[in-house]
Amino acid sequence: MTMSPFDHQRDEELGRLLREQLTGPRPEAFLERIRLAVARSEPRGEWDVLADWARPRRIALAVAAGLLLWLSAWFSANRTSVEPGVTVASLPAHSMVNPQPPAADEIMSALTGGR
Amino acid sequence: MNRPGVRSPHTTYLSTAQRPQRLERSLRTSDVDDAELAQAAARGDAAAFGGLIERHGMAARRAARAILRDDDDADDAVQEGMLAAWRAIDRYDPARPFRPWLMRIVVNAALDARRRGRVRHAEPIAETLESPGLGPDRRAEASLLRAKLDAALAALPERQRIALVLFDAEGWGHAEIAASLGVPEGTVRSYVFHARRAMRRALGTLAEGMK
Repeated sequence: MTMSPFDHQRDEELGRLLREQLTGPRPEAFLERIRLAVARSEPRGEWDVLADWARPRRIALAVAAGLLLWLSAWFSANRTSVEPGVTVASLPAHSMVNPQPPAADEIMSALTGGR
Repeated sequence: MNRPGVRSPHTTYLSTAQRPQRLERSLRTSDVDDAELAQAAARGDAAAFGGLIERHGMAARRAARAILRDDDDADDAVQEGMLAAWRAIDRYDPARPFRPWLMRIVVNAALDARRRGRVRHAEPIAETLESPGLGPDRRAEASLLRAKLDAALAALPERQRIALVLFDAEGWGHAEIAASLGVPEGTVRSYVFHARRAMRRALGTLAEGMK
């Protein structure tokens, strides 16, 4: 073994020991096993590619939909908080474009709803 | 995997019994580099991926055995990692080195296997330091060395163990190991330094005597 661990060169002796220790039995059979596993694996079809592509987008879509639902619920909850009992009377259209102030009977007619 | 419309000289590699060995030999001796094989594999060429298995399968096995320390678990993890790499091969960037990309997948598969607790049990790694032709004394020494080496490896932190194996056993550079482990290069240097120091302390002069 190299006596200095600071050595940036490969330690041939330690490397040999490690290879012998870790190589394991029957390397050719092992490689053949992996090759066969790859050959037997299901082909990666177009749907798999699409599924990979779609997964993050589905999550993003779900998050966006949830946000929209929450926002719409929040807005509709706020919109209904108009004070009850306050109504706006509609004036006849000509009174809005007429530069002359409306006559008293026109105002009364608008307030009573033409009754 | 045979993708429609993809044809290559190696596509029928696994369809006959004799052909694989012939093609493996041609891939092993050819000048085709990893990136080219990976690109061919991404086009659906299983034989090209077979060439990559041939080149890097044993290094992957040693790394997995360094992590899992059980023959069967390590082989399962390598198979899982290789299958994952095969399925993701179209995402490999040929501008980057292939070895660290593959090793990262295999190392992650081994780490996942351990995290999931699928590991059968931590037994000493099978005796592979064969010593044919040695007398009884030398055999005993070899056996002792095996046991010490195994214990010393087991005592190392996981990442130091992987870095040591890739650096000293596989001859990888610090940069490649860093890319495989997803850590800075300086960290790999530190891993190798500490691992070597621990191994030296554990093995002492025993290894010298085995030369």
